Amino acid sequence: MPAIEARALSVGFRTERGVVQALSDASFAIERGETLVVIGESGSGKTVLAHALMRLLPRNVTLAGEVDLEGQPLLALPEDEMRRVRGRRMALIPQGAGSALNPVRRVGGLMLEMARVRGLGQGEAREALDGSLRELGLSFQQVAERYPHQLSGGMQQRVVNAMAMVGEPSVVIADEPTHGMDPELVDTTAEQLGMIARRGAALLVITHDLRLAERLGGRTALIYSSYIVELRDTAAFFSQPEHPYGRALLGALPEHGGVAIPGVSPELTQLPRACAFAPRCPARFEPCDEAVPPMFPLPGGGEARCYLHA
Amino acid sequence: MSAVPTTPGAPGAAGTPGIEAQRTGRVRRFLGRKRPVTVIVAASVLGLLVLAAVTADFVRPMDSRGINLARSLEAPSLAHPMGTDQVGRDLLTLAVHGLRLSFGVSILAAMGAMAVGALIGVAAGTLGGRADGVMMRGIDVFQSQNHFLFAILIVVLFRPTLGGAGAIALSVAVTHWVQVARIVRGELLSLRERPFVQAAVNGGVGRARLATRHFLPHLIPQLGLAFVLMMPHAIFHESGLSFLGLGMPPDQASLGNLLSDSRRSLMLGGWWTAFFPGALIFIASLCVGVVGEYVRERSNPRWRSELEL
Amino acid sequence: MIAVVGRRLLALPLILFAVALLVFLLAWASPYDPAEAYVQGAAAGDALTPELREQFERAWGLEDPMPVQFLSWLGRLVQGDLGESRYLSGAPVVDALKDRAYPSLVLLGSALGVVLVGALLAGVAAAAFRDSPLDWLIRTSAYAATFVPSFWVALLAVFVFAVQLDWLPAAGASNLRSVDGGRVEFRHLLLPMLTLALTQHGWFTLYVRDTLLEVLRDDYVRFAEAQGVGRVAVLFRHALPNALIPFVTLIGTHIPELIGGSILIESVFGWPGLGNLTRQAAIAVDIPLLLAIVLVGAVLVVLGNLIADLLYRVIDPRIRESMR
Ligand SMILES: Nc1ncnc2c1ncn2[C@@H]1O[C@H](COP(=O)(O)OP(=O)(O)OP(=O)(O)O)[C@@H](O)[C@H]1O
Ligand SMILES: [Mg+2]
Repeated sequence: MPAIEARALSVGFRTERGVVQALSDASFAIERGETLVVIGESGSGKTVLAHALMRLLPRNVTLAGEVDLEGQPLLALPEDEMRRVRGRRMALIPQGAGSALNPVRRVGGLMLEMARVRGLGQGEAREALDGSLRELGLSFQQVAERYPHQLSGGMQQRVVNAMAMVGEPSVVIADEPTHGMDPELVDTTAEQLGMIARRGAALLVITHDLRLAERLGGRTALIYSSYIVELRDTAAFFSQPEHPYGRALLGALPEHGGVAIPGVSPELTQLPRACAFAPRCPARFEPCDEAVPPMFPLPGGGEARCYLHA
Repeated sequence: MSAVPTTPGAPGAAGTPGIEAQRTGRVRRFLGRKRPVTVIVAASVLGLLVLAAVTADFVRPMDSRGINLARSLEAPSLAHPMGTDQVGRDLLTLAVHGLRLSFGVSILAAMGAMAVGALIGVAAGTLGGRADGVMMRGIDVFQSQNHFLFAILIVVLFRPTLGGAGAIALSVAVTHWVQVARIVRGELLSLRERPFVQAAVNGGVGRARLATRHFLPHLIPQLGLAFVLMMPHAIFHESGLSFLGLGMPPDQASLGNLLSDSRRSLMLGGWWTAFFPGALIFIASLCVGVVGEYVRERSNPRWRSELEL
Repeated sequence: MIAVVGRRLLALPLILFAVALLVFLLAWASPYDPAEAYVQGAAAGDALTPELREQFERAWGLEDPMPVQFLSWLGRLVQGDLGESRYLSGAPVVDALKDRAYPSLVLLGSALGVVLVGALLAGVAAAAFRDSPLDWLIRTSAYAATFVPSFWVALLAVFVFAVQLDWLPAAGASNLRSVDGGRVEFRHLLLPMLTLALTQHGWFTLYVRDTLLEVLRDDYVRFAEAQGVGRVAVLFRHALPNALIPFVTLIGTHIPELIGGSILIESVFGWPGLGNLTRQAAIAVDIPLLLAIVLVGAVLVVLGNLIADLLYRVIDPRIRESMR
């Protein structure tokens, strides 16, 4: 049984401009000990995916599909029980550690409170926090008495990362966990994330850092305009993407020639009832404009949302 | 000076006279979310009140002053829906006339505030530089003071010459011109920076033409709204000052005077003598406020949160 | 911190100067005639003969040019000489103010306390049960309260609690300090305090609610939720402290409102404070007394803002830090 599984998960936000379709038809499963890296341009729906898995969504949301945590359907769970799931069984390393830490609370008190929510005693919590902070080159003592704004960006990120590791949740979702870190810290963090996975947690990492993605291994999901368009073994994806968007994206990297993708991605309020990438796609042909392509299995394993692979 | 996108109004009129809505910016979103139903109800009630005030002479003529000690302090009945006061006058009659008086004085007062504000705003906007800075500083100081206390001083000083209504109007004008001045000044300043104005000036367009073509059309809607939103303040000044015995002459049936008169009747159990005039003040300002703020919300999308439904 | 306080304290005389200038100009521009006022007040029947007037004008320096008059008035103010009150038959204005200040501060302080507690409870409740009937009720009544004429509420309160139910006295609080040696007559305080609070709480309540809802959307609140922190703890330990920071400044900006409200409320209940004195001075056309009260009001406003500003800096760790 996968640690976490999403089936046809879709998320929309009702706004005054219409419905923002932030995630469409996302299906994937992550086993214990496995890593799924999620990449995609800014605004494509990565954070929404992470929040949807934990049901951390605002009131104007419309949600469809299913999420199972170790076989237990989450979306139907009463809020009280869901709260017990969060933190204890699923941990989130949110995007933007700086704004995730309460500005008027001391870091120590904040960390202890959250560790204790997971059922740890005062002493235990302190020890666990200190342990995971030390793995990241900090100590509890060092940060406890400070306010978040007194920590550097990298320190804030490490504090937040350390909090997620306490209590050994079975699913860890990290939303850009290396933001604002210098290369060495990125290394340590990658190490740490690897360790979380090795300890047996299912790990979902959202990142803009393709190098980090390659390093983390596992599988990679590429998101374009709310759709997962390619879901494959990370190594295979980076050596030879199958979706035209994946190819264009890697081709846009400086080391591959740096050819920018022509055009812009569609507004999420006006997604076409067809392939969202078609207007920018060099390989576009008739079926592309007729319907949204489903995920087609690829010969070498994995899937791509493209009629070329039908 | 940045071209502040001047927003219609916010003439500190949002609530209790004095507290300026913009100081508590988020509060004003309250009405943005309001259903139009509330606004429609408020507008209709307001319409009725205005109608009652305008037709007061036909509906409830005041001619026979109606003093009749035999009918002193009668509770509300069909003949006297709001009861009678201590000298037996029909309260409904007094109230609609009081409403008319209050509206009249308030309009006069708001006009005074507009005039003062426009003058100072134009001065600040055209003089610019240092004079402008000093003026804006002065405005800040003044704005932070309590308006009602100043109003009392003004009324006391000027009532002998200007009479009750004039003094009340002056008290509103002196204490409530600030927002109007801000609007006018902001519009002037932003106008200067707009390319079509530059072009117009370079093209030899006269000042008068510039004013009527470009300046006034921007200004009038904002000032109109400011005017409306000033009404609750003016109503409050009239009723509050008259209640203290500092406003309209006591022989005039203004709403504030009626409330002031009611104090003795209350001790004798005549609750209606206080209840109805006060309720009219309350309802009239509430309705003006609801409608005015709704218009303001509508006309300024910046305040509407995109993500919130 | 000290530098900030210093700067703000330096601004205080400037602001007071501006207010003094303003009220002086108003009085100067008005048709008010001090000589006539004095004669009328002094003894009934006395006529103001031209000789008498000239005498007064020379004695009071009324012939001097306006700036000179202003400066000499200002000079006397600075020395604590606020003139003599005609209404109080020639007593020094300063003494009158001193006598009335204590009851006013009791009323204003207690009403502010009630407002703050009430607004916090109501605002938090409304935000916690957002869009529920309770929220609607709190929001609507708070909004309506911002328009309700306070003296009307006070009159109705007198009718219900004093006339009908006879639970509480309608008026007649004596000067608390002089009679009771500083002991507050709670029975007398209750009605004015509650009506003042009731008519002033509107903005506070709406503000707490709206700020709280805004803060509840912030990232750190979502993070706390993601960590499984319970609803109540999220509200009180994570959101509320942040919402309270801007709330403190609202207290400062609201002081003038309270002062204005207290004039009407004190008048209805015959409370022996500055508010009631304001009305009495106004009716008696006692200009020196009235000017002094306006200046006292300005001082209170400035001090209130200053205190709120300092509080704000003390409770927000981000600012507190930068001021060490
Ligand atoms: N509460 C909301 N209401 C309306 N739209 C929203 C909401 N939250 C997110 N969106 C929209 O959903 C889309 C996806 O947002 P998301 O935060 O998932 O992007 P992302 O892929 O994480 O981008 P980034 O890399 O910049 O973090 C965006 O267009 C965003 O504007
Ligand atoms: Mg994101």
